[in-house]
Amino acid sequence: MRLFGIETEYGIAVHGKGASDLVTESRAVVNAYEGIFAKPWLYRNEDPRNDMRGFHVDRLNYDPEDSAFDDPEAPPLAIEVERADHVLTNGGRLYNDHGHPEYSTPECETIYDIVAHDKAGERIVQACAERRSAETGRSVKIFKNNTDFHGSSYGCHESYLTTRSRPFGELVRGLLPFFVTRILFVGAGKLGIEPKGDRGHYQLSQRADFFTEEASVDTLHRRPIVNTRDEAHTDPRKWRRLHVISGDANMSEYATALKVGTAALVTKLLETQWSPSIQLKNPVAAIKSISRDQSWKWITETSDGKSISAVDVQRSYLDGACEKFSGTGPDIDWTLREWGKTLDLLQDDPLALGDRLDWVAKFELLRDFAEAEGLSWDDEQLQSIDLAYSDTDPEHGLYYALEESGAMVRIVGDQAITSALTVAPSDTRAALRGELVRRFSESIGGLSWGSVVLRTPKESWMADLGELVEADQIESALERIKNAQTMDDLLLQFASSS
Amino acid sequence: MPTIDTERTTRTIPADPSKRDSDESGPSKPDVQRPDRSDLLKRMKRVDPDQARRYRQRSGQ
Repeated sequence: MRLFGIETEYGIAVHGKGASDLVTESRAVVNAYEGIFAKPWLYRNEDPRNDMRGFHVDRLNYDPEDSAFDDPEAPPLAIEVERADHVLTNGGRLYNDHGHPEYSTPECETIYDIVAHDKAGERIVQACAERRSAETGRSVKIFKNNTDFHGSSYGCHESYLTTRSRPFGELVRGLLPFFVTRILFVGAGKLGIEPKGDRGHYQLSQRADFFTEEASVDTLHRRPIVNTRDEAHTDPRKWRRLHVISGDANMSEYATALKVGTAALVTKLLETQWSPSIQLKNPVAAIKSISRDQSWKWITETSDGKSISAVDVQRSYLDGACEKFSGTGPDIDWTLREWGKTLDLLQDDPLALGDRLDWVAKFELLRDFAEAEGLSWDDEQLQSIDLAYSDTDPEHGLYYALEESGAMVRIVGDQAITSALTVAPSDTRAALRGELVRRFSESIGGLSWGSVVLRTPKESWMADLGELVEADQIESALERIKNAQTMDDLLLQFASSS
Repeated sequence: MPTIDTERTTRTIPADPSKRDSDESGPSKPDVQRPDRSDLLKRMKRVDPDQARRYRQRSGQ
């Protein structure tokens, strides 16, 4: 499969602090990171206002209610200070994003690596929170979810490298039915409808309530199901980075694996000029109605007025992917097999997926607790149970209680997660970034996904990683970095080959 | 709420995605019996019942 990655904005709760303090608190959590890292991040290489549809917007939409938390008297901070970027030896990035500790995995190209690095990100942020808590004496809790139950959402985004072989409008039409219906297995489950709906209504997705557009470049307000941001982080003449904002943050390793595996396959499928035979009548309404459907039949309407189940929409993508890609690689075959099994169980016995899908596991916890305590589903206490499912502290989090009891399917072992804390995937450009950070962090003058600036007292060089998107491009460059005795030695090697 | 059979069924383990040679543990199978839920209930009872009411976040991406 081609490169992919996950970026997760974590929820944060600090004892005695409110929402207006969270930018400061999130920055402090990130700055509690103790490992080797490099900075600053080179923001000049990024432009989130570039739109895949061929234009550039002059501003992005912001949530006016959220702006009320900002202190208009506070002096603006330099972006390096505010974001507190840390680029780690595993090639990942830890930073503060508007009041949320955020962790971006390094670029991965196997399902095993992406799950290990997604879980490593949880542990890194949790460890930072524990250090910050020890420093201040205040409890700092971290949640891997996407809502505060009061109308504020924060994302877990995916990135998929894909070619520019197809007009973007065709990609949008190809992706909408898939993204709307994949909440069947990507959904992390949520008790309540936001912003001010029924608190006792259990739905599949944490994010579905927050989508109001089919496609747009925005991410903070008026969020779209298909994000049109055009930042390839590699050669934009050849590649797109599909920036996906419609997914939930998953605690379950299996859900993460299936989320990334299926989206990577659908992206690859669309490159072949394949198109779905189904279009939904109203994708924005459909993602909400499917998420909220209490019958668990998930029937929606197609553009030609017919009824279809979300499971069957997913099956149409699965059939297309099976026909094109079956037998072409272990991750692809794993994804096709598990995708099919999951769809069968969603149709016949959804609760049988309680050992692998977050929304089912959470539903069972809520049901058991409500029964044991004699609570109705709209009792406020149950939303606290919902929140506790995503608590990343293994001593307190409810997902981790399930995992500890042996109730959840694992994809990677703890050894792989521990390794991913400091070691990058060996077959992507993240290995080069990570090794440069490990060996020469003091000599790094800045980094981005596609470049590392290397400095000596005499000169400054830029290591251009931008076009290194294939595994066979990585090994020789990595050997050079590993074999270099000093930064001068490394620069000499690169100079002699350029 | 939906009223679907609440008992877990026995299933086969998913075969693992292509794992790294260096990792010995690999994917692991959950116990096919329904795990003891009493410990889970104890942990749920320790959850601060008001934490969701107090939980306020900045709107993110």
